[in-house]
Amino acid sequence: MTATAAEPAVDARGLVKVFERGRRTFWQRLRGEPDRRERFHAVDGIDLRVERGEIFGLLGPNGAGKTTTMKMLATLLIPTSGTISVLGIDVLARPRDVRARLGAMLSGERSLYWKLTARENLEYFAALYHVPPRQTRARIDDALTSVKLLDRADDYVERYSTGMRQRLALARALLPDPPLVILDEPTVGLDPQAARDLRARVRELRSQGRTVLLTTHYMEEADQLCDRVAIIDHGRIVALDTPGALKRTIRAEEVVRLEIGLADDGAAVLERLGRSATVARSERHNGTLAVTAHCASARDFVPAAFDAARSAGATIQHVEVVPVTLEDVFISLTGRALRE
Amino acid sequence: MSLLAADARAFVAAARKELRMWRRYPLFILGLLFWPIVLPATWVLMGQAYSGGGDARALAAFAERAGTTEFAGFVFVGYAMYMWLSNLLWGPGTALRQEQIRGSLEAVFLTPTSRLVALFAPPISHLPFSLLNFVTMGLTLWLVFGIVLPLGPVLEAMVVIAIGIPSMYAIGSLFAASVLRFGETGPIVQLVRGTFVLACGITFPLVMLPGWAQAGAALLPPTYIVADIRTVLFRGVGLGGIAIDLVLLLAFAGLITLLAVWVFRILETSARRRGTLGSY
Repeated sequence: MTATAAEPAVDARGLVKVFERGRRTFWQRLRGEPDRRERFHAVDGIDLRVERGEIFGLLGPNGAGKTTTMKMLATLLIPTSGTISVLGIDVLARPRDVRARLGAMLSGERSLYWKLTARENLEYFAALYHVPPRQTRARIDDALTSVKLLDRADDYVERYSTGMRQRLALARALLPDPPLVILDEPTVGLDPQAARDLRARVRELRSQGRTVLLTTHYMEEADQLCDRVAIIDHGRIVALDTPGALKRTIRAEEVVRLEIGLADDGAAVLERLGRSATVARSERHNGTLAVTAHCASARDFVPAAFDAARSAGATIQHVEVVPVTLEDVFISLTGRALRE
Repeated sequence: MSLLAADARAFVAAARKELRMWRRYPLFILGLLFWPIVLPATWVLMGQAYSGGGDARALAAFAERAGTTEFAGFVFVGYAMYMWLSNLLWGPGTALRQEQIRGSLEAVFLTPTSRLVALFAPPISHLPFSLLNFVTMGLTLWLVFGIVLPLGPVLEAMVVIAIGIPSMYAIGSLFAASVLRFGETGPIVQLVRGTFVLACGITFPLVMLPGWAQAGAALLPPTYIVADIRTVLFRGVGLGGIAIDLVLLLAFAGLITLLAVWVFRILETSARRRGTLGSY
């Protein structure tokens, strides 16, 4: 079966991946003892449809199941249950055909050979991607040009910065000229400039007509880069839409972050704040209560917050008014921040 | 380009990549020159000491068991096999393990090339090093111990080595496959290498082993390779005299290769289920 333009780039249904936690020793197996290892659902029933030509983001905290999902799509992991179709091809039945059409950057800079030059790395992977010999040199030059590394092509990778290595890993993913590119945390560990640079390269992929599926735990990245975002937590998709539509689900125009110095448990001040805004999150740490509140107008809420603090015998130490972000969406859905 | 041709090209590229990486560590060559001389030379000197400095009766007793009085050559051929085995048991498994630790194994497995390329290419890349060992030992025998090996038997020994290569590399690949399940294979390699050294007549004539151990040795390809190299080099027997052994070696190669592929496929599927392909 060949893919048609009408088929989605990725279509996953009822995807589940269960891992065992802990060890089962050789002696336990030999004695035929029952397997008492804890079953952990890394992915717990994900349905996902990524359309062709879009940048689709999986946003969630570490351990949410993003990478496990990506690895299943990329044929590196066999799902416990569920079906996956990539570019119209069944991943479980024809994994090799899927890999031939897929550019993937899953383990970033670690996955390169540091004792080889960038060109030598790409020559090796071009052969593994079955790039025809006559096209290899041009394909490598194109890939290096697209990530702005052509002038450093003959340097050892060990002399590259982290950002350059990430870009080289992206260049490798482009070698097979893939219609679908999957990127796992592509900007993690990069400085802001290098991250901006890599995001620009990802946007170019979309303008070339490719589909990009990426994971991130940076809300700004998902917001700026993705056409649609699936928010994932504990192995489940808890929301899926465009970044704008997701942010509109927060019934607030503005988000106010407060740091309140207090002596008690803060219950009184929280109760008072709740009268004029939605307290999305509160966390007490070393005599300070950090509060995230969703409100219609910060101009009205901030004076009310000062009054509430004063009447509860507390002191507001810091006020920050910010627009609604995807992090607020995550907080409103899970009660936790992305970085927790 | 057919799929098979594309995989063959990937295979060559993978072996070339391994060699390129070795080339970045030129001091590694020193070890390749040092050990093949020092290790067997030590045993030859011990042999000379234990035999009273080459006493005729001691040499005759040795010849009765080994079929030759050239005990220096006997030991060097045995150690050439030992070095080859060490390279094969350590090299491919270590290469696969390093790929796993580095994170590049997943990147390789993300490509459409056959997974068997990752299994069989690293062993092949060790071939030049093994050949260098053989050449170094041959030169040491000639220059240090004064043993001149005639060209004809040397060429015949090279034929034996060439026929032995597939079975030896199949053994290396079989152990490399176990990396996917066990991660570190060091202890298993030590155990197996020790067994081979004891059972295959690496440093002593096989007749010194009890009968049941000799029967076990007959199931191991290195037994035939080391014995046949000694036979053509030191006993004046041509390839015709060891033809059955050579056929057996090819049969072993087929069987062990199939076993390695089967084990690798099982362990690779298991690793994809358990998520341990990229684990430390």
